[in-house]
Amino acid sequence: MALLEVKEISKTFTQKKKPAHIVLENMSFNVEQGQYVSLLGPSGCGKTTLLTMLGGFMLPDAGQIYLAGKKVEGPGPDRGFVFQNYALFPWMTVKENILYSLKVQNFSKKEREQRLQELLDISHLHGSENKYPIQLSGGMQQRVAVVRALASRPEILLLDEPLGAIDFQMRELLQEELAALVEETKTTVVMVTHDVNESVYLSDRVIVMSANKGRIIQDVYIDLPRPRSRQSKAFKEYVSELTDLVRQAFREGESERRDDIPFRHRGVDNIFVASYNRMHSKYTNVANGRSRAAK
Amino acid sequence: MERHGSAIPDAGNAKLNLGDIFDKYRGNFYTLFVLMVLLIIWNFAASRIQNTLLLPYLSETAMEFFTAWTDPVIMSNLGLTLKRVITGFLYAYVIGVPLGLLMGYSATAMQSLAPVMNSIRQIPIMAWVPLSIIWFGLGDGPTVFLIAMSAIFPLVINTIAGVQGIDPNYYNAARSMGASKLDIVRDIVVPGAMPHILTGCRLAMGAGWMSVICAEFIATSAGFGFLMVEAQVRLETAQLYALMIMSGLVGYAIDKVFIAVERKMTSWRFKDGFVGS
Repeated sequence: MALLEVKEISKTFTQKKKPAHIVLENMSFNVEQGQYVSLLGPSGCGKTTLLTMLGGFMLPDAGQIYLAGKKVEGPGPDRGFVFQNYALFPWMTVKENILYSLKVQNFSKKEREQRLQELLDISHLHGSENKYPIQLSGGMQQRVAVVRALASRPEILLLDEPLGAIDFQMRELLQEELAALVEETKTTVVMVTHDVNESVYLSDRVIVMSANKGRIIQDVYIDLPRPRSRQSKAFKEYVSELTDLVRQAFREGESERRDDIPFRHRGVDNIFVASYNRMHSKYTNVANGRSRAAK
Repeated sequence: MERHGSAIPDAGNAKLNLGDIFDKYRGNFYTLFVLMVLLIIWNFAASRIQNTLLLPYLSETAMEFFTAWTDPVIMSNLGLTLKRVITGFLYAYVIGVPLGLLMGYSATAMQSLAPVMNSIRQIPIMAWVPLSIIWFGLGDGPTVFLIAMSAIFPLVINTIAGVQGIDPNYYNAARSMGASKLDIVRDIVVPGAMPHILTGCRLAMGAGWMSVICAEFIATSAGFGFLMVEAQVRLETAQLYALMIMSGLVGYAIDKVFIAVERKMTSWRFKDGFVGS
């Protein structure tokens, strides 16, 4: 049995005076234990919505999600979620942030202290445990966010464009750090990204989603040894193959819009999703809480 | 940084240090300058008007001002007024902050309470004076009530803004780590809103301090405001000026205390060298 099973899930966003927007329709896939899976697609393809549902912050209209045989019905510590803007609590130190899940789950002081040392080891954050997030560089914030999500040993790590807000030069470096961190902890990962290069560098498997109802266009296994070289021929071939697929995914979305949506709504499905999320309770806002915390 | 090898840096450093000192006290320097100009204008105007009932000389007011700080009557009345302000503020805090947290957190609470609260808020604070005298009689009662009344709205409104300004992903993050509702209130809502709550406290304290003086004109026969009325009745304008300056300075000092508390309680905001107001 696969670790994560997504079974025929659908999600539609409805808004007053606007046509219903089908974000995902009958989507199914499995993720095996230890796999690093990227969800790749143009913006508006529903990848973040999917991740939000995996996190349990939003429920599918139809279909089920099972994690280790258990149905996902809300957020929980069996899934570690890393937000796009990291959502580190600015009023807590690095240590308090990292140990927050253990604190609310009433782990003993000794266990917490021990786990802290392990997590500081793998994230190379020794000496920064008493700093506040505002005092850290972008890369350090990312590492804190990842080990915070890993603290209570989740079954799976969910990453929402973890490097989306970071400039190009820095991004490659952080991808390497992330790869090392994940490899060391042997965690199963589902990551949302729109960066083809990033998905090839990090993943065992890339699921390309279409902007048309989140259809899975292709499920590509990246068969490259680690650590990966971005210069290798095989790497570049994967990148160009996936780039073509993403282009196709984007075009499918275009034609869908032309068919179903009145002219004034064409090309705005992104805003569409954003405003839906803003309207519907603070808990569904995962997708759009852009970098307010990063200020 | 070590800079032994070169001949120039030493001189350069010395100069730089002088500049640093000037920069450090630049603000104080300007404040002092503006104060001097104001005092000169005052004295000039007084010498032109030549009527100490309207505008006493600077020297006369200064004399009153400095003796006031050692006058037991004035000091005990100031103490009484401060006690009222603190009492009123505490009432406002105990009611206002939980109310603000609730209204910020729950849309239902907001929808049901906001119209009522916003209507009551529009009633001028002095319009409560007659009613508060009917309710509480003369003395501490109405003054404390009026302070609480004027302090509560800035507290509620700022607390609401604080809660609403919390990044929704903080809630999501806490929930995905297994936090209960209570954990979220304690660890996310309260600390997340704290900067705004403390701003609310500053505004509330200011509003309370302003309204207490007014309240004491009417509703009581003791306190700092009452002293002012007495000075006016006895035609001791210089003392009235001195008392007014004192009330300004005391209010300023209270605000400074709150700023210090703010920096202490939300020190995480100031770690990157950012300087707030």
